Amino acid sequence: MIIGVDVGPTNTDAVLLDGDGRALSAVKVPSLAGDAVGSLVAAVAALPREPRARVTQLAVGLRVAARAVAERTGLAQVGVLRIGGEAADAVRPLFGWPAELRDAVCAGTANVAGGGGLGPYDGAPLDRDAVARFGAGLAGRAEAFAVSAVFAPADGTQEREAAEILRAEAGADVPVVLSGEIGALGLLRRENATVLDAALCLLVARVADELTAALPRLGLAPGAAVLVTRHDGTLMSLDHLRRQPGLSLGSGPACTIRGAGLLSGVRDAVVADIGERRARVGTLTAGYPQEAGPGGRIGGVPVSLRVPELLTVDAAAHRDLAEAVDRMQTAAGGLPVVLVGGGAEAVPDRALPGCEVVRPEHGGVAGAFGAAASPVGGHHERIVRVGPGRRLDAVRDEVRDLARAWAVRAGADPRRVRTLLEPDLTVPYLPGALLLRARAFGPPLPL
Amino acid sequence: MDAGVLADFARGCAVLGSGGGGSPAAVTRPLAEQAIEECGPVPVVAAGELPEDAFVMPVGLIGSPAVAEERIGSRAEPARMRERVEALHGRPVAAVLCSEIGGLNGCTAVAWAARLGLPLLDADAMGRAFPRMDQNVLELAGLRPGPTVLADEYGRTVVLDHVDGPWLEELARAAVATFGGHAATSEYPLTAGQAARHAVAGSVTRAVAVGRGEGPPALLTGKVASVRRDVGDATRVLLEGTGTDAGRLVRIEARSEFVAALEDGRTLALVPDVIALVDVHSGWAVPVEEVRYGLRVRLHALPSAPVWYSEAGLRLAGPTAFGLHGLTREGAS
Repeated sequence: MIIGVDVGPTNTDAVLLDGDGRALSAVKVPSLAGDAVGSLVAAVAALPREPRARVTQLAVGLRVAARAVAERTGLAQVGVLRIGGEAADAVRPLFGWPAELRDAVCAGTANVAGGGGLGPYDGAPLDRDAVARFGAGLAGRAEAFAVSAVFAPADGTQEREAAEILRAEAGADVPVVLSGEIGALGLLRRENATVLDAALCLLVARVADELTAALPRLGLAPGAAVLVTRHDGTLMSLDHLRRQPGLSLGSGPACTIRGAGLLSGVRDAVVADIGERRARVGTLTAGYPQEAGPGGRIGGVPVSLRVPELLTVDAAAHRDLAEAVDRMQTAAGGLPVVLVGGGAEAVPDRALPGCEVVRPEHGGVAGAFGAAASPVGGHHERIVRVGPGRRLDAVRDEVRDLARAWAVRAGADPRRVRTLLEPDLTVPYLPGALLLRARAFGPPLPL
Repeated sequence: MDAGVLADFARGCAVLGSGGGGSPAAVTRPLAEQAIEECGPVPVVAAGELPEDAFVMPVGLIGSPAVAEERIGSRAEPARMRERVEALHGRPVAAVLCSEIGGLNGCTAVAWAARLGLPLLDADAMGRAFPRMDQNVLELAGLRPGPTVLADEYGRTVVLDHVDGPWLEELARAAVATFGGHAATSEYPLTAGQAARHAVAGSVTRAVAVGRGEGPPALLTGKVASVRRDVGDATRVLLEGTGTDAGRLVRIEARSEFVAALEDGRTLALVPDVIALVDVHSGWAVPVEEVRYGLRVRLHALPSAPVWYSEAGLRLAGPTAFGLHGLTREGAS
């Protein structure tokens, strides 16, 4: 059996699923302000005690990362290292950040020579001495490092090299986050996402510790797997959350969208999560949330993260809601509309003219359901230049293998991971370049 | 041009891109913002305010916006480009001219002018965005593209001499491919007098005005009802009118840019007209590759510089240059 929990700002929801994925019990308790783990404990305690002892998996949406960025609390001081040198010095790191957030996270910045490109001669060798000076200068002050190299999504070698140097200079246990593992092409947005990720390290580690310490009180089966939600609607282990806390940004809506689909038995739909004040509308595509395109912001900072595409409107403004629902359709009137969330009953079918409206049972706890019923996930993408002697199939296999490896790192059972190669994307105005992408899913490794 | 005006300018440049030319938001706007912050606001002057023989350096980026977003460029680039251009011509650069106002390159010119401490001409060489380097009004005026300077962020430089427009396009694209998909360029070097006579006058102030929402009213307010992307680069968009425009249906043809808007067999707008879909929620023009079902947009059409409607202008960048045959300008703006 599996328990899923969604710690929201007002309420914390929990559901108990049987072995066939059916909801046996669902509860909603008020959240404790500023205490995600306490809220989780309270919600789980509200579930019937006896079946809890047979629970082998707990999947949790904590939403602590998003709140920390919004409220600028609990963020680590980050050493921001860019590897690009003169190829990338015309806009400095953290340029355009809200001053308060920048002050809250920045221990120091440097831009050192290095970085890659798409051609064989593009880029420059890494200035290892400069990396070492930066690391030594911030030793004891930086609580984490964020490393972003030009074209790291095509080749992450220099970022890994720099991480090794930083650890040698500033301490082996200082977290070092690498941009190539965070986002896609677009240096500034990827760097921003990497810095936020690093800034969340300490807070997330503390919450993971609290959660681990609270486990014995939950009365689950011994050795039950504990997983947390991530922004693509999949799960990851607590260890993976510690390594990549930014992956949890956007995970609340992602799990709600996914849960809405699972509860209503559809794989493609528009999902509207109706809260007390706000309604959030997203799209479910082949069972997973549709990702936002470029232009996403977190805490006022432009970032490239695979967060769900969402429109937020006033829950009481039904005309705005109808328009948002239509905007999230992939084609005219094609998809059913799944209404979930505590406020769904206040939206009559007639507010969404021309739509097939679905109101699944347990829609009030769709986020918790989505957490409980999702697999562990991983993804990888790489931009490649197609040329003579370049065997694309071999590269595709490698991308697929790396997606699988990421899912395993995130806690998936390596024997049961399946991979999905997404369609290749072309890059505008860049003949011969392709973006290869793969995703991987699997159940958590049983302990 | 200070940081405040730059915000409107960038939004206007996106509209003048006619759906192409790359988005200024990701890189070139912050590029210009930081350059203005470090070097001060940029004086914008009419070409006629400068001495007739003052030397003007056009600037722009070519290649893939995706690569430009990764290799965001060097603060040293503008000075290196000026040095090379001055060495080729044996005289000092007095002002910067934007090669292409539409899309991401408007902000590039602002950034470079700020770093060089030079005025930016209130003009440009296209009045909008076009995919080819030789699709510009200086080519129409018979100016020579060479010597054209192409350089990467490290200062690796290629100079193209004795080229005409088509050769410029061919050789520059080959050089850009070797540069990894991105380069800074200066082509069609000219004097202030030539700029006053031949460049598209008032482009910078026009972009600011467009960015502030000034100009003719929208042709249609509606939503994107369908998007079809064909093999190659042809895209077809259907717009369905909403509100007072309910019941109207407009078809938009696109290549790298939006090139035609048609309604009931009538041509609402046709390249070289600027055709823009402006997102009613964000106020930003939507690039061709980001148009998707359900977007709420205003359809705008703006006239291009008069020279683009001459016989030579239409040959270089009119409907047939984009494979649109059999469309007439009847009823076009």
